[in-house]
Amino acid sequence: MSTDDAIHESIETAAQTVGSRWPLHSFVTANPLSGFEDQPFHEAVAAAADTLGSDGYPDADVFRRAWEDGRIDPDALRTTLREHGYESEPEATLDRMANAEEVVTAETATTASERVDAVLTKWLSAFLDQGQAKWPMPEREDGFYDAFRAVARHDGEIPDAEAIAELPDCPLDAIREQLVNDPVGEWPDIFEFHLAALPGWTGLLKQRADEGDAWQSAYPITMAGYLAVRLTLVDLFDAPRTPAEADGDDATADGAVPLPEIWLTAWEATYRSGLVAELTDASESIAETDEGDRPDAQLVFCIDTRSEIIRRHVEAAGDYETHGYAGFFGVPMRYEGHDSEVAVDACPPILDPQHRIADRPTDGEASRHAEHDRWTATREAAESVIGRLRSNAATAFSYVETTGAGYGAALAARTLVPGRVHDLLDAVDDRTPDDHAVWEPAVDHDPDHAHELPAGLTIEEKVEYAATAFELMGWEQFARLVVFTGHASQTANNPFDASLDCGACAGNPGGPSARVLAALCNDEAVRERLRDRGIDVPEDTYFLAGEHNTTTDEIELYADAVPETHADDLDALRGDLETARAGAAAERADDMGADGDAGRDTHRRAADWAETRPEWGLAGNAGFVVGPRELTDGLDLDARAFLHSYDWTTDDEGDALEAILTGPMVVTQWINAQYYFSTVDNAVFGSGSKVTHNPVGNVGVYQGNGGDLLTGLPLQSLMAADDEPYHQPLRLSTVVHAPVERVTDVLADNPEVAELLDNDWLHLTVVDPEQEHCAFHYAEDLEWTPISEETTPAQATAGTPSPADD
Amino acid sequence: MTGQTQATTVGQLPTPDGEDSRVAATLTRVVWFLCVVSVGVLALGLRGGGPWEIDGLVAVDGLTAVLWVTVTFVSGIVHSYSRRYMAGTRAIDRFFGRVFAFTLIVMVLVAADALALFVAAWLGMGLVMADLIGHVEGWPQARATAALSRRYFLASTGALAVALGTLWWHTGATTVSGVASALGEASGTVVLFAATALVLAAMIQSALVPFHTWLVASMTAPTPASALMHAGFVNAGGVLLVRFAPVVTVEGWFMLAVAVVGATSALSGKLLKTVRTDVKGQLGCSTVGQMGFMIMQAGLGFFGAAVTHLVLHGFYKGYQFLSSGSQVAHESPQSPTATDSAGPVGAVVIAATALAGGVLFAALTGKGTKLDSGLVLALLVVLTVLHAARDLVTRSALPASVRYGAVPLVALPAIGIYGVVYGTIEGLLGGLPGVGATAELTVVHGLVAAAFVATYLAIERGAYKHSQRLYVMLLNATQPPSETQLTATEEYNEY
Repeated sequence: MSTDDAIHESIETAAQTVGSRWPLHSFVTANPLSGFEDQPFHEAVAAAADTLGSDGYPDADVFRRAWEDGRIDPDALRTTLREHGYESEPEATLDRMANAEEVVTAETATTASERVDAVLTKWLSAFLDQGQAKWPMPEREDGFYDAFRAVARHDGEIPDAEAIAELPDCPLDAIREQLVNDPVGEWPDIFEFHLAALPGWTGLLKQRADEGDAWQSAYPITMAGYLAVRLTLVDLFDAPRTPAEADGDDATADGAVPLPEIWLTAWEATYRSGLVAELTDASESIAETDEGDRPDAQLVFCIDTRSEIIRRHVEAAGDYETHGYAGFFGVPMRYEGHDSEVAVDACPPILDPQHRIADRPTDGEASRHAEHDRWTATREAAESVIGRLRSNAATAFSYVETTGAGYGAALAARTLVPGRVHDLLDAVDDRTPDDHAVWEPAVDHDPDHAHELPAGLTIEEKVEYAATAFELMGWEQFARLVVFTGHASQTANNPFDASLDCGACAGNPGGPSARVLAALCNDEAVRERLRDRGIDVPEDTYFLAGEHNTTTDEIELYADAVPETHADDLDALRGDLETARAGAAAERADDMGADGDAGRDTHRRAADWAETRPEWGLAGNAGFVVGPRELTDGLDLDARAFLHSYDWTTDDEGDALEAILTGPMVVTQWINAQYYFSTVDNAVFGSGSKVTHNPVGNVGVYQGNGGDLLTGLPLQSLMAADDEPYHQPLRLSTVVHAPVERVTDVLADNPEVAELLDNDWLHLTVVDPEQEHCAFHYAEDLEWTPISEETTPAQATAGTPSPADD
Repeated sequence: MTGQTQATTVGQLPTPDGEDSRVAATLTRVVWFLCVVSVGVLALGLRGGGPWEIDGLVAVDGLTAVLWVTVTFVSGIVHSYSRRYMAGTRAIDRFFGRVFAFTLIVMVLVAADALALFVAAWLGMGLVMADLIGHVEGWPQARATAALSRRYFLASTGALAVALGTLWWHTGATTVSGVASALGEASGTVVLFAATALVLAAMIQSALVPFHTWLVASMTAPTPASALMHAGFVNAGGVLLVRFAPVVTVEGWFMLAVAVVGATSALSGKLLKTVRTDVKGQLGCSTVGQMGFMIMQAGLGFFGAAVTHLVLHGFYKGYQFLSSGSQVAHESPQSPTATDSAGPVGAVVIAATALAGGVLFAALTGKGTKLDSGLVLALLVVLTVLHAARDLVTRSALPASVRYGAVPLVALPAIGIYGVVYGTIEGLLGGLPGVGATAELTVVHGLVAAAFVATYLAIERGAYKHSQRLYVMLLNATQPPSETQLTATEEYNEY
């Protein structure tokens, strides 16, 4: 039937504006406005304000603070203001912005729509629960629509609930019945209106329907099913079905660039000009230096901003070279850890996993395996017994009485001596066999174990992943030890712990990915084929994996199989990493505003259940530098820049550059947008203060009693205090060290990336080593604006410069 | 070593000042000082000292000492925890002020002898707790929630005032101790009326079904305030019954009714919990059940057990709230529950372990050694140990020593510790009037015991899950009112 198609199409159109929200257990840093990326930034922000009631720019207060701190260059700001026809002084425009903000009035009366939302929240949380409730919603396996039809007819909170039993079998019929009086042309608006209510739950729904994970297969839910239920409830509660007439698009209709956009642009330009000026200088000086001697070891870190700190300290501790590469180390895998029932997609959300890699026991460790198994089985049994005693009505009371004294002791220990808790965890860790000694990822291809994905990697794939890594990073020589270092955070009592793990691994620890790549590179067969591709790995190079603990800055090396010949190198490295840890931890503790012993402070934060700010994560991120480490190694970027290694001299075709600009740059832009939007409107895009969080269904948190689902970053990840911002909401400034034409070519081949730039979702500047190390800023439509040494923006020689850029 | 060269800094972020609230630091120290003093009072009480009285106003007896130690300990934990947890929040000083004021008021309440002081403290406690629930200003849902709970607390204060007013009017006594001694001449009906009002006040305060809504809808409170609420505030219902034990025990059948009211809440609270998907909501429902159990213990005449329960449950629930952030896990849709059968040896071990647990419990606490209502409590202990033992014994993946040895090794000492705590509290409560009379076994006790066993089996077998109506009923019974839910997140404008 054609109306079926009309419904499907309308839903698809409407769903565009819904930003996917990933379940909290695997926090994926995504742009909450990704559905609006085909529009210019300021228009997208205005559109989101209409549908979601959100705020898309920093408050005037935030600008004022930055202005008073001298973070916004007055000349740049005045110029930009004038270009857009604002003749007032900056202070006056600040006041104008502040006045415009004071119109928010909260209505208190409960409307029919709110009652619909409350009932829907109840049923959505029941249906979308991932293992929290002991008694899940009945009939869930039939899908949301059918389960609702079966169960909600008994719901006394719904007026005339018996009518639900009469609903047609197909959700599309139910939708059609509700929309019988609305012209087809208005359907997308109606759907959008209803999907924009409860955007947290609908975002999760969208993600689940799109990705089709194990929960979706077991308990399916569709947009159509949801809308059928919602429209039915709207009818039963007599709530408005169509959106209220918009009361005049005031700011956006005339196409003028809003004031906050200008301030934001000027602020970003100020940060960027400082960065670019340093990079152009560095570009000149590295052109004159030769390739250095062979370093003692090379360490590859994730491009994550936190790596910037540890890399500086590692380099200072000895003759070490560090590199930046996406933290999933280029292997898009679905990883099945030995201690977990569920497989996780350890790759960026823009990629689909291609391989399934499970842990397998290491060879020749039989007794340690047995010990490890016993330990694991005992721990699991204890957890299960406690869980069942607590959940059974007849045993919970005696359980509480007999264990109450123990809980009292634990209360005191964890609250009064949290640092000791960390020591205790360490001690337990020392006594039990290390997981990484007894388990390792099974990387070899296993044709007998294909699930939905092939198990392991073929030799061709191995060579490809290894070669890509070295080609993207522009690698020319190999030290005796090469360490691939993933990263993970360590925090206690933190529903958002996954947000502090590796973003390139979709909110998972990066250690397993590092192990996979190290295993590939140690494979003799792989090395041989690498040689054929011109990558000559010396005989005496050994590849090693590790994991950087971003809370304490310790680096754990998975060195169980290091040959005797490299034992001394390893010892030296370990010693220097300890020195680096101390230095990095001191810097981190300082950024936290902590006094006293930095090592103890970071350890305490890692284990303290009362700590809401275990570490800053990626807060502060504002830049992305694509180029050799020599460009940045004299700089302290204060953990604000992602760093991807790249050498334009080894990339004549521009393939590596293309891979970086279409992969890592897009992922960093998503991360940056998540931090940006969570900061400028923490209630809508973030998740508010942790002190009133209430985790729900393993998929997100509530603020307080219930309502819409929140999955964005909490206030404590972005603010030093309720009134003191820490993260500075700036859009990403990418700086690439390469010839301008090469970048232009890449953008011409990848219109979706060019569109992001044209729409001002991020900035791109190129430092061209072939044009006397001059910098060029991307303007619009593949045109560039040369940047002179002064910060005042010059006009382009060719093309029309974009008024929205500096 | 290349040595540290001074690197050029680009775009340095501002360093947070990390300033600590002085009010928070000071009040935390004072609370821990009060805790130390309370421990001292308890120690003196254990050596036979006290009670210390200011005639007609306060009386510090064994019950006071136990509760002082408990409340100052929990409050101390909440203070120390909040210094880090609440760091950087707006109005942190006011938060600490309220938590501290709450602590002082509860200390006055459990020491109060004057009826008027008791009511005033009860009222003050409720008002401060309602303020804590609505602590986040400018958040409409927090305001609505605070208003909701305030209404409940005013109602419970009203019931209490009616009860104590009746007793005063009837006996002429103006103190708690005076009421107890004057009760002998009182007529049954009037006392029953007062007792009913008292139980009503206790039910609202302890959030028993059907008055549980305020508790499951109290999650706008910052986490540490919830811990204080669940480990301290809700216990006041039990304390009230113990304080006025001579009134409540006036009729045997009335006590039975109290036991049934408690048991109803105990079982339904646990059922309510099964349908909740949010962590704090589950904890709230669990508290409804635990408080029901405590009131049931009081109804069975085991006032000492009720006080022991509220203390130990306080530690447990406080811990659960403070660690509520650690509950997010990546689960898979089907959780395998395949267990092997126990086999004859296993069956013997299970039975022996369970019996040993029951015998130890009975020997240490005296509950279940006579043919009285204590049998019900001993039965639950047997059931719990049996459950744990069966669960472990049937896990063939475990080493034999763990399968057969772990439960006796862990459960028996745990029961031993409980026995010691119970014995201590029982001893301290010895002097209280009206406490210590356990009830004869009746048919109703049998029914309560049967209900627990039936629930145990129903939950083990999942039989109750067949009723969709029951599911919807439970789901709706645990729903916070819609005005207390944040359905439009833009209304949350704290930041």
